[in-house]
Amino acid sequence: MEYVNAIIQGILLGGLYALFGCGLSLMFGVMRIANLAHGDLAVLAAYMISVLVSALAISSYVALLIVLPLAAVVGWLLQRFILDRSLKSGELAPLLVTFGLAIVIQSMLLEIFSANTKSLSAGSLGTASWKIGTQISIPVFTLMVFVVAILVISGLQLFLSRARTGRAMRATADDADTAGLVGIDARAIYAKATAIAVATAALAGTFFAMRSTFEPSSGPTQLIFAFEVVVIGGLGSLWGTLIGGIVLGVTQTVAGQIDPSYSILAGHFMFLLILAFRPQGIISTQAARA
Amino acid sequence: MTEEKDLGLDPGGEFRRRDLIVKAGQGSFLLAAGGLLAACGVQSNSGGSSSGTIKIGFVSPVTGPAAGFGEGDSFVIGLVEEALKGGLEIGGKEYNVEIIQKDGESSPQRSGQVANELINSEEVDIMLTTSTPETTNPVADACEAAHVPCLATTVPWEAFYFGRGAEPGKPSPFKYTYVFCFGTEDFATSYLAMWNQLKTNKKVGALWPNDADGNAIRESLGPLLEKGGYAVVDPGAFPDGLNDFSSQISKFKAEDCQIINSFALPPDFATFWRQAAQQGFRPIIAQIAKTGLFPSQVEALGNQGPNLATAAYWTPTFPYKSIVTKQSSQELADAYTGKTGKQWNQQVGASMALLDGGIEMLKASPNPKDHEKTAKALSKLSYTSLCGPVNFKTGPVPNVSDTPIISAQWVKATSGEFPLDLIIVDNADDPRVPVAAKLKPY
Repeated sequence: MEYVNAIIQGILLGGLYALFGCGLSLMFGVMRIANLAHGDLAVLAAYMISVLVSALAISSYVALLIVLPLAAVVGWLLQRFILDRSLKSGELAPLLVTFGLAIVIQSMLLEIFSANTKSLSAGSLGTASWKIGTQISIPVFTLMVFVVAILVISGLQLFLSRARTGRAMRATADDADTAGLVGIDARAIYAKATAIAVATAALAGTFFAMRSTFEPSSGPTQLIFAFEVVVIGGLGSLWGTLIGGIVLGVTQTVAGQIDPSYSILAGHFMFLLILAFRPQGIISTQAARA
Repeated sequence: MTEEKDLGLDPGGEFRRRDLIVKAGQGSFLLAAGGLLAACGVQSNSGGSSSGTIKIGFVSPVTGPAAGFGEGDSFVIGLVEEALKGGLEIGGKEYNVEIIQKDGESSPQRSGQVANELINSEEVDIMLTTSTPETTNPVADACEAAHVPCLATTVPWEAFYFGRGAEPGKPSPFKYTYVFCFGTEDFATSYLAMWNQLKTNKKVGALWPNDADGNAIRESLGPLLEKGGYAVVDPGAFPDGLNDFSSQISKFKAEDCQIINSFALPPDFATFWRQAAQQGFRPIIAQIAKTGLFPSQVEALGNQGPNLATAAYWTPTFPYKSIVTKQSSQELADAYTGKTGKQWNQQVGASMALLDGGIEMLKASPNPKDHEKTAKALSKLSYTSLCGPVNFKTGPVPNVSDTPIISAQWVKATSGEFPLDLIIVDNADDPRVPVAAKLKPY
């Protein structure tokens, strides 16, 4: 029964990982930018929410609704005024820019908010859980995160396959120049993709901040999991990102049940195994096409 | 192109994947190089640069994961500079004192690097360093190699002494580097005294991570707790940065641990503690170390914060005074809150104790500009610091003075502007520190 509980916790943890991963996946898919500031943008959003919560005395959830559009605007501006320029100067430039951005965000947060640990309140949901027998309990908050992750990923999937902008995004990802011939403005598309990606990062950052604590330097530790999720699941597939999250989460919790010292290591091993034996990821867009 | 399964975001297939990994790889290289890009430390000057100037290097973590420790350091250094504005008289000669503060960025590489800068470029006469082995040990190693007298604190002395290659029972390999701090036995003394105040089944769940502190505690504190009559339930060493603690919690529940002892990093403990509540695990005593040193860490836990038990190496009720500024512990805490608007934290007292030690070392030296003579004076140094009496002649081992750590508990504040208060619940490790209340169950 302990293992059943471990697997359940792992699947639910996978939801959070997938939320972290999907924005990264989207940005890499559309613009080929590996956004090293993804984790720091998530932490930035958590700080924005914490400011709103104490200034307006509202709940974290209400503050999240205010911050999500703000995060999208930040993403839009980021792409329009910073990343776009770097995209013209070759492949390494955007990487350097996002790396610099990560340092800027961390130092700025440290300057404004000091190194103090902060956390967001998840309300009574934070510690509530449903018990099944004595061994298994399903935390309401983590379940909610998981459901949100599924909703976000299905929403994005629908958007990309059905909506006009979504289709334009795919066309631009395929071949920006050809898409330009039929009147699709790649720069506008890029800005929209980054806006969505930063909004999902904000969502993930908020849930992370409700689950644990955060400080200015918290971003990079979650970034590595986000990268692994994207690679395990298969690049370019959003469902793959969800599955990658679940695989990583379950690997960590089950290995942790066997021996706690192998928990994170086992996750990294799973990542290496996938790279070695199924480099296209669990869900391969190549296979789907064939 | 099939619309349902293929998003068309990945026309290049594997090549794109390789791009991502290559880019991620480049990124991690850049992250490693980050320390080089970061700005240099803050330099402060309290006097002219005449030939009679003594330079003190001060290395602590001001940014990075251990930044909480360094938060009050600029404030404390400012107080000392103010007090020594008129110069310092040593052996009938007047010296200006210049304290050069550098940020070790919580990283061993960076800490060693700034220590070498201080030694080679600034030519400091003595070095002071504090807060976590990651900062103090590389700084001390640089000083030992360069023959610069160095005093450290807020690093468990075993981690400083044995962690840098000294061996039990053998003569000390160190001639220039000294530490005053608590050790594992102090934890055992404080914990056992405090735990005996409440009736429990004497089963302790151990949340000890797989890092330097966690493993040292596993080896040394574990046996001491068992000797004190407590059974230790250790689910095993877990890596830092763990996002899920369900296996530990199920073990603690199965074994009915009524006490837990955590040496996990602050965010890891927060994750554990929230998950423990979700899984319905609630011990009678929650004894936390490494986190819970600073009020903000406990405040961040919300209503799960009050009544966590901890151990303190300085609080405003410690009955000692600063030698340089003449402030009592309470006056120092009040001055800190007055200047920064923040609640006092333990490191403010310890950093002042360290600076006091530095000045005492200089005063005891026949020639403060002579490293050999100052190191000799340091080896016999004895003074009463804010954290308790320091004396390098009595040991537990050479180069080490053992200072107390006192049983304490976070409680909801009954008055004042801050939500939480840290109160002393037992003084087994230093009977001069007054006890304020009995330990309350969590």
